[in-house]
Amino acid sequence: MDDVIVVDGLRKVFRTPFRRRRVEAVKGVTFSVRRGEIFGFLGPNGAGKTTTLKMLVGLIRPSAGRASLLGGDPGAIEVMSRVGFLPEQPYFYDYLKPTELMDIFGRIFGIPKAERRRRIDMLLDRVGLADSKNRILRKFSKGMLQRVGIAQALLNDPELVLLDEPMSGLDPVGRREIIDLIAELKSQGKTVFFSSHILADIERLCDRVVILHKGVVEHAGTIQELLASGDRKEILVSGSFPGDWARLPGIHGIDRMGPQVTRLLVESGFANDILRALLDARMEILQVADRRISLEELFVRTAGVGPVGAKEVTS
Amino acid sequence: MKDLLGIPRRIAAISRNTFIEAARNRAFVGLGIAAMGLVASSMAVSSLAIADQMARVLIDFGLFAISLLEVVIAVTMGVILVYKEVDKKTFYLVLSKPIRRSEVLAGKFFGLVGVLAIAVLLMTVAWVGSLILRSVPLKPDMPQALVLAWLQAVLITSVALFFSSFSSPILSGVFTLGVYLAGSSVPVLNDLLSLKKGALASSEAARFVAQTATAVLPDLSIFNVGKELILGIPISWGYVGAAGAYCLGWCLLFFGLACLIFERRDFA
Repeated sequence: MDDVIVVDGLRKVFRTPFRRRRVEAVKGVTFSVRRGEIFGFLGPNGAGKTTTLKMLVGLIRPSAGRASLLGGDPGAIEVMSRVGFLPEQPYFYDYLKPTELMDIFGRIFGIPKAERRRRIDMLLDRVGLADSKNRILRKFSKGMLQRVGIAQALLNDPELVLLDEPMSGLDPVGRREIIDLIAELKSQGKTVFFSSHILADIERLCDRVVILHKGVVEHAGTIQELLASGDRKEILVSGSFPGDWARLPGIHGIDRMGPQVTRLLVESGFANDILRALLDARMEILQVADRRISLEELFVRTAGVGPVGAKEVTS
Repeated sequence: MKDLLGIPRRIAAISRNTFIEAARNRAFVGLGIAAMGLVASSMAVSSLAIADQMARVLIDFGLFAISLLEVVIAVTMGVILVYKEVDKKTFYLVLSKPIRRSEVLAGKFFGLVGVLAIAVLLMTVAWVGSLILRSVPLKPDMPQALVLAWLQAVLITSVALFFSSFSSPILSGVFTLGVYLAGSSVPVLNDLLSLKKGALASSEAARFVAQTATAVLPDLSIFNVGKELILGIPISWGYVGAAGAYCLGWCLLFFGLACLIFERRDFA
C-alpha cells in the first residue's frame, strides 16, 4: 500500500509583524497517509492542524521539514490537479452563483465545458443544493456554504481529498450526508484526510488517526491501537491502604465506594505492580476489569484537561 | 508542455472572475455612471467658454475627464485586487487549485485591464455623444489619445497591484497616487533641473531627490496628448506603439516585483 501523503519533520515558525516574536505553530510533525484510507487529523484548537493542512496545499511555506502529496511537492500544478481541498469555514466570491463559482474552478482545472457542466450539476445535486444552484452565494446559510465547499473540493474527481472541519456548520442531517459521502469516496478508492472536532465521526469513519497537540504528534495509529494504548484497568479492593495512594505508579483515579471498598483506575502497564503492592498491604482484591477508553477521553487527556470520568487521586 | 498550454486558460479563468466582480460591484457600476456623467458634463463646462473656444473645451475637458477617471478606477480597484482576496480569505480556495500565484496575479491584472477597456469605451460613447450634440467636429486622432489614456491606466494598475501585494489598501492608494502625481510631473522636474536658478539649482538635496524621481519613476506625460489633440498635431500610431512598449516595460517590472513578494507570502 503506497503513501499518498508523507510528512517528515514539518515545522512552521511564524513571526509577529512588529515585535518579530517567534510562534512555533508546528514542531516537527511526522506522519504518512496510505492510499485509499480515511485518515483523521485531530487536536484541540491551536494544535497546528490547519497550519499543517495549509502547508500540505501550498498556502503556507514550511520553515523546515518536508511534505509530499501524491509523490510531488505541495502546491505543484500536477499535484494539485489531483487533489481536492476544503478549507476551514470556506469563504467564497459571494457575488457568484454556485454554478459560476464551480465553473471558474473547473476552468482552472481544465475540465472541458460539457464535462464541467455535468459534474457541477451532479455534485450540487449530491450535496443537496440542486434547488439553490442559481442563487447568489451571498444569500446562502453557513451550512449551505459548507456544502458548496465540499462540492467544489470534488469537482476535479480528486484522488486525494483534504477536508478541514467538513462537518462545521452542518445540521445533523447534513452531517450524516457528509459522513455517507466520505464513506462513498473511500469506496471509490479515494484517500480522504480530514480534521474534525466531532470525535464520534472520526471514530466511526477513520482507518487511522493522528492526534496533534501544541504542534506535536502525541498519538498516531489505528483507532484500535490508540484506544488500546490508553487502556486502563479498574481494580476493586477491600481494606485500608497503609501508605499514600499517590505514591503508587500508574494510578489515574481513585473512587471510595464505601468505608472499606475502593475502586482504582490504573494504567494497564502498571497493573501487576499495583496488585502486588495491594497484596503486600494485605488488602483483598475483589475485582480486576479492563476499562477501554473512548477517543474523546484520549483526546481530552492529550489536550491536558485531565482524565474524564475519574476523580482526582487522593491519599 | 501541457502545463504551458494551461497558463492562458488559468489566467483567463481568474480574469473572468475579476471582470464579473467589477460588473456586479455596485460601487463600480456607480463609478461608471458617474464617469459617463462627468464626461457628458463637459457640455455644461463648454457653455461657460467663449464661443470659439467651446470645441476646444469640449475636447480638452472630455479627454482629461476620461484619463483621470481611468486612473481613479485603476487605483481604487487595483489597490484591493490582492488585499480583498486575502482579507476575505477567498484565496484559500483559489491558491489551493492547480494554479501558480503569478498566474493568479496575472489573471487579476488582466481582468482589471479589461474593466478599464470597457470603462474607456463607455466614457468614449458619452464624450463623442456630447461632441456630436454640440456639433463639434471629431478629431481624427481621438482614438490614439483614448488608447494612450487607457495605457496610462494600465501602467497605474500595475503600480497598484505591486503595492497591494504587500500593503493595506489605504497605503497602497497613497503610494500609487504618489507615483501617478510624481510620474505626471517628470517633464516639469526635468525643466526645473535644467534651470541654472531656482530651488533645484541651489539645494543639492532637492536636486538629488528630483534627479532620482525622474530616473526611477515612469514618465506618465507621454500618455497625455491633450494639447496635441487640440492643436491638431498628428499623433501617429507609431507613437502609440512606442508608448505601449514603454507601458509594457514598466508593467513587467511592477508585475515581476509583485510576483516576487506574493510568491513568498504565507496565507495563514
